[in-house]
Amino acid sequence: MTITHLASPVTVNWGITARCNFVCSHCFSRLDQAPELSSEDARRVVDILADHSVMFLNYGTGEPLLRKDLFELTAYATAKGLKVTMNSNGSLIDEAAADRIRDAGFHGVGISIDSADPATHDAFRRMPGSFDKAVRAARLLRERGVPLSISSVICKINHTGFPELVSLARSFGAHTIDLHNFKCSGMGGLNKDQLDLSPDEWKAFYESAVPMRESVTDIDIAFDDPILSLLGAEDKAALVSGSVCGKLSLYVKPDGEITPCGFIPITIGHILRDDFGTMWESSPVLDHLRHKSATGKCSGCSKFSACLGGCTARALAVYGSLEAPDPHCWAEEAEK
Amino acid sequence: MMRPERNPAIVWRLEKKHYDEAWEAARNDEEDFDDKGVLTLMIKGGIHQLNLVGAEIWTRIDGTKDDAAIAAEMAELFGWEPGETVEAVRAFLEGIASRGWVTLS
Ligand code: SF4
Repeated sequence: MTITHLASPVTVNWGITARCNFVCSHCFSRLDQAPELSSEDARRVVDILADHSVMFLNYGTGEPLLRKDLFELTAYATAKGLKVTMNSNGSLIDEAAADRIRDAGFHGVGISIDSADPATHDAFRRMPGSFDKAVRAARLLRERGVPLSISSVICKINHTGFPELVSLARSFGAHTIDLHNFKCSGMGGLNKDQLDLSPDEWKAFYESAVPMRESVTDIDIAFDDPILSLLGAEDKAALVSGSVCGKLSLYVKPDGEITPCGFIPITIGHILRDDFGTMWESSPVLDHLRHKSATGKCSGCSKFSACLGGCTARALAVYGSLEAPDPHCWAEEAEK
Repeated sequence: MMRPERNPAIVWRLEKKHYDEAWEAARNDEEDFDDKGVLTLMIKGGIHQLNLVGAEIWTRIDGTKDDAAIAAEMAELFGWEPGETVEAVRAFLEGIASRGWVTLS
């Protein structure tokens, strides 16, 4: 059955803090240091999400473990039925923290590792020793039975080395490796020329990564890229047409402002000041994302109904338009 | 006889507003009352929806009720003929079992 009737997002990505102990080359939030909500307000956010039956709450943006109330807040959210996950650089996960993560009831933790080569990872994350700490975190979490995924941002440093990343993730016992496509937002925008792939490089990457996803059975290889439609791969991977932002998920910034996703800096409301359900149902921006119209080479493209012009965040960052074709798209002209 | 049990890895929710709307349509004998997704399931990164009938069966799966017990409740709920309802419920359960959403014992 087509997914058309969601009364609220399935997932809310929450930038629970803007603070971070790293200065990564691609970070989308480093340039937007919003103040964070108090513990009391953070619990109100959880109440609102639980009241709207949001299923998954994922802490992203900044390093979540820098928030002192993280474990209490997570236990609170878990008790309300939310499945809580977080993305972490892993540097603060020692034995004691791993115990607390397990005890707080995390549904899963994603550890960022961008290369199987320690020096390459450390340089990308601009933090010597960060690879070893991420590996330690992954092992400590698995020893405690915490479901683990590995998150990698695909870019110039790793687009041909992803099989080694998959092997590394497998060696930890990760259930999934998320191969995120590079977004040119925030620091990623400043470092776009050094890090982003050309459309042809994206094509080559997906042409080898998609078959690997089909053949590997002991770990899930996950992408989040609507232009996979170009390879006819939308049947298994895509949950909805186009990108999931504003259709399955929303992003809550550290200060409580809501945007369709972390990479689209268009505020549609505030989690504590506006009615969440009304915003989800009636936001003109979300409506726009859900009903995009084809422009440029997307007009007449046979993939448009599945792709919807690809990643809106990338189009916005590069061309300043929500409607423009995804700059990663390698189609020369409309695919017939 | 089969007793269904939900796959514990599935995360699901009822879309309350849409569920109420579908029931309203069903009570008004609107033919398309079953077109709407009213229950959302997530499994292994995939998302699926069930319509009103599917949702009413799904929410009755508790690991103790068998197909006949679920069918009896469904027949009463929708005013259906009991014999046909058992067949329909069985077919639905076998369908979702083949997708790994439930196990049948
Ligand atoms: S031309 Fe547009 S619709 Fe077609 S694959 Fe590229 S981005 Fe998607």
